[in-house]
Formats: sequence, structure tokens, C-alpha cells
Amino acid sequence: MNKMKGDYETMVAQVLAAVIFVAMFLLIVTEKIERHIVTLVCGLLTMVLVFGVAMQSMSAVLETLNLRSIFTVGFWYTSGSEGESTAGINWATIIFILGMMVMVEGMAKAGFFRWLCMRLAKMVNYKPVPLFITFMVMSAVLAMFIDSITVILFLAAVTVELAKLLKFNPVPMILSEIFCANLGGSATMCGDPPNIIIGTSLEYSFADFLTNTGVIAGISLILVVIYFYFVFGRKMASQGAQDIDFSAIPEPKDAITNKKDFIISSIIFGCAVVMLVTHAQTGLTVAFIGTVVAVITLLAAGKSALDLLKKVDYKTLLFFVGLFAVVGGLEQTGILEKIAALIGDISGGNLKLMVAIIIWLSAIASAFVDNIPFAATMIPVIKSLAVTQAGVDLETLAWALSMGTDIGGSATPIGASANVVGTSVAAKNGHIIGWGEYCKSAAPATIIVVTISMIIIFIRYC
Amino acid sequence: MGEQVIIAIGREYGSGGHEIGERIAKELGIHFYDRSMLDEIAKDKDIEIEYLEKYDEKPRKLFGSRRVGAYTNSIEEIIAEMQFEYIRDKADEGESFVIVGRCAESVLEGHKNLISIFVTGHRDARIKRIMNKYHLNEQDAVVKIKRHDKHRKQYHNRHANGKWGDSRLYDLCISSSDLGVEKTVNVVEFFIKERLGEN
Repeated sequence: MNKMKGDYETMVAQVLAAVIFVAMFLLIVTEKIERHIVTLVCGLLTMVLVFGVAMQSMSAVLETLNLRSIFTVGFWYTSGSEGESTAGINWATIIFILGMMVMVEGMAKAGFFRWLCMRLAKMVNYKPVPLFITFMVMSAVLAMFIDSITVILFLAAVTVELAKLLKFNPVPMILSEIFCANLGGSATMCGDPPNIIIGTSLEYSFADFLTNTGVIAGISLILVVIYFYFVFGRKMASQGAQDIDFSAIPEPKDAITNKKDFIISSIIFGCAVVMLVTHAQTGLTVAFIGTVVAVITLLAAGKSALDLLKKVDYKTLLFFVGLFAVVGGLEQTGILEKIAALIGDISGGNLKLMVAIIIWLSAIASAFVDNIPFAATMIPVIKSLAVTQAGVDLETLAWALSMGTDIGGSATPIGASANVVGTSVAAKNGHIIGWGEYCKSAAPATIIVVTISMIIIFIRYC
Repeated sequence: MGEQVIIAIGREYGSGGHEIGERIAKELGIHFYDRSMLDEIAKDKDIEIEYLEKYDEKPRKLFGSRRVGAYTNSIEEIIAEMQFEYIRDKADEGESFVIVGRCAESVLEGHKNLISIFVTGHRDARIKRIMNKYHLNEQDAVVKIKRHDKHRKQYHNRHANGKWGDSRLYDLCISSSDLGVEKTVNVVEFFIKERLGEN
């Protein structure tokens, strides 16, 4: 009798958690309500209805809130045996993103990104094809450490500006830059939010990503540059007028708003990169690195510190808080274990098939819906698969999930934030990019990279 | 006119709001902006006018576009924002004008001497007007009115600070069916002059 009652309560909790999750997804897509409000309200509903009413479990609430983890040593420093928290709200991700946001604001204010774009453009003598290739590579490299939105925001704006002066069509360059930013983001732990969530949830280091997804992204980048050269580059070679007034092109140094701030922000960025690359050796967690970077940036900013803080995108951080709470509902009620079991059944325990399902499912879903909720939901699924299926290595599935979610978003104009920002900057300057034009070059590139990723994972890990 | 005046006219489809706006602009000797502003935007941004017209005053498609902070890749919203920027610039330059639609009562909210008007009309009168204007039968006219009003409402409510046609959002709400276009123009003009203290 008690067992039946328990099963019934579990089923009610599962249904409620699933309904809240689906409602959250639909509300995010419709954009009727701001997405951070949607996730926060849905997170609250999860706490009250799923954990409170259906499960009557205070421990589920506390585990999902996960506040205690912040006050543990392992949250800030790991000595190998200790780990960061792996369930509920992923505060490490949120604190790290906050820190990077503050640092990036400081760099942008000093003119770092515009200077870098202009410097590289000058280095290649403003020639369309070398510019095209250089900006693609720069986009990928920058996105390894900086969020892709910031990378594309500056790169697309400079591309439009240079295109006007050098008289070429900026659309092919912007489309290629967007793709490369998403690809670059997949190479490191801090490049794309799904990777940060995967890394902090599964306790992988920056080096783990670099030596696994980084290798895949590196090989893919070479092929993608060749692909975009054949799609756009040859046409670009014939563009660009002869009568260009090079004196009208702004000098790179003009982009620097304040030399002292520029030097300081460059040093902070350099330190952040070093700390991230070596964090497995030093034991410093990404939460610690994010906090240090933010504090140093704010101290260096002096009186402008408040301005930098005001520019932080708090809505995105709140979006993460709510999202993790909703996913916590799915996790605590055991729905995700059922999904994992389903994937296990379909694949019949075959690792290759499992990898193929995860990478393509992630890629297709991420092409149309936000890849952050998708990745957050799939992490418990792959954890469960690794535990329940014999011979399945969690790392292998994690790299498949990372590449699928990071690259899949490149296929459509709505798949990733960088795509939205890049196409929006282009449109505001009179270069409206529709779905057809976008997908014509990006969708085949996405299929190529996802296929390459799958083959490399098969060869290396399966 | 000496002092700047901006007349923002919202309207139900078939109410004659566009014609009323055009006549008021003529009477007051000020510019009139409607979808024709797209010509200038198209020229300025080097975009084909047909492309802009296709998405003018249309709500964004529910699926197929996304917003990230201040950035969107919805063509409908990008064109709307281009128009909002255009009318903001005109207002900031001190120009007097009549603007039809484009959520102008919200976009220009706070501007001195902004007068917002909503023109409505009885259902039958609107159907009759559309039947005559586009040589349609009654059924087709009803469908056309419903479609346009639905789009205008969605477009307005997406970008504006209040609901489309909500009297609290406008300085004056008037039905053109009772007096006809000519007399409605006179009443609105009287209201404008009273507001500006010119009578």
C-alpha cells in the first residue's frame, strides 16, 4: 500500500516537473516574457509544487538550491580528491560567468577588441581574402576565452565598417565569423556556456577540454576555413574596389580609449588565460578564477567600477539560476534516468550508437532551441548512462554532448546567441540576412563539423 | 506652425485614420509619415524597398527568430526598430509631423507637444469603407479587416508600453463613423489647437 502511494507520488512529481520544464521551454521560445523571469518562476514552481507538494522533500529543495556548496573549500580550491558540487544550481558556472562578464566589460571599455580587429586588418593590408581568413581564425581563437556574443559584437561591427570603406559585401565574412566563434567556443571549458556547465558539473579541467574538444575544434577549424573559402572566398577575391582611400580607415591605436586601462585590461585577460590553462595543476576552480578576475578588474577600474558592474548582464545570470532549479526538478524526480534508460535501450549498449545519438540529438535540438537548457538537462542523462551501461565512459559522452550542443547551434540563425547578435548587427547596417541565406552556408558547415566530431570520437574513444 | 508638434495616430483598419492623418498634416502644413518613410530608410541603408514593405508593421513570427538582449534577428522587429529610430531622429531634430501607426505614441513618449490619437470606427462603417476602397465583397472585407487589426494589435503590443486601442494610452480616442472623415478631421484639429493653446 505504502509502495503504491510512493509510486503515485513519484509519478505526480515527475509529471509536474516535466510539465514545468516544457512550459519553460515554450515560454522562452515565444519571448512573451523575459527569459530570466520565465526560468525563475518555473524554478520556484519546481520548488513549491514538485519538491514541496508532490515529493514533500526538504532535502530535494536544499540539494537543488545547493547554497551550502559555495561555503566549502572544494568550491574554490580542489586538491584532486575534493570535487565541486555536481547537482542542483551550478553556482560555479554562475560565478565564473559573472567574473568573465566584468573582465570583458573592462576590456571593451578600454577599446581592446576594436583595437585587435583593426590591428589585424592593418597587418593584412586590408586585402579582402586575407582579412576574411584572419577574422575567421581570430573569431575562433577569441571565442576560446571570451563569450561568443562579445566576440561577434565587435567583429561584426568592425567587419561592416571595413566593408563600407573597402567596398565589399560584409555578409559572407559575418556568417563565417559567427560559425568560427561557435566552433572556437567548443574548444575550451570557458568558451561556451554548455562547456562551462559540463566542466563544472563533471569536474573536468580546462586542459581536459583543450586536449579533447580542443583537438576536434582545431581540426574542424582548418576544414571550415577551407570550406568557407570555397563558398565565399573566391567571390570575395574579385570584390574590393581599386579606388580605396586608405587614409579614411581608422588607425588601430585610435580604438584605445585609455592607454592605462588598455594595458591593465590586457594584463588581466592574460592572467585569466594563464589561470584557466593551469587550473588543473594549481587546483584553483573556475569559480575562484572568475571571482579573482572580477575583483582585480573592479579594483583597477577605480571610480568606473560601478559603471562596469551596472553593465553586467544580470538577467542572464538569473536565467541560469532558474534554469538549474527546473533541471534540478527533472533530476530529483528521476525523469532524466528514464530518458537515459531509453537511449541505452535504443543503442542496445553500443557505445558508438550512443555517441551518435547524443551528438546528433544535441546538434539538431541546439539548432532550434537554446543549447544551455539542453546541455544542463543532458548532463544527468549522460551521467546515468555511464553508470548504468557497461563499458560506457562518461568522458566520451561528455565530449559528444559538448560538440553536439556547441556546433549544432551554428546551423540556423536562432541556434546560438552569436548568430542572433551577428545577423542583428548586419541587419541594422542594411544587410538583412534571412533564414535561406544563413542556412545555405552554415547548415552544410554544421553537418560537416558534427560528422567530423563524431568520426574523431569514434576513432579516439570507442 | 511655430512650435514643434507631433501627432501620433493609431487606427483600426478601415477607420480612415490614415486619411485623417494625411488631411491634418496638410491643414497644419507639416510633414506626414506613414510607410513612405521606408523609401528614405531603404535609400539610406541601401536595401530594396520591396523587402522592407513586406515586413512593415508586421508582428514577428513566433518561431524562426530570437532575441538576445538588445539584439534580434527578426526581420519584422529590425524594420520596426529602423522606423522607430527614424521617427525619434525626426522628433529630436525638432521637426513637426503627423505619424500614422509605428507605435509612435509609445516610441515618442515624453516628447513635448506629442499628441496621441486613436481613430476607431463602427464595424459596419469600416466594412463598407474597405469594400468600396478595394472593391471587395462583404465577406472578404471582414476577413481583411480582421487580419490587419490582428497584425496591428500584435505589432503594437510587442513594441509599445500599453495595449493597442486602450484609451488610457492616447490623448484622444475618436470614432470616425459618427461624423465622417471630414468632420472628424475638424474635431481632431480643434483638439490639437486647443492643446497647443492656439485657439
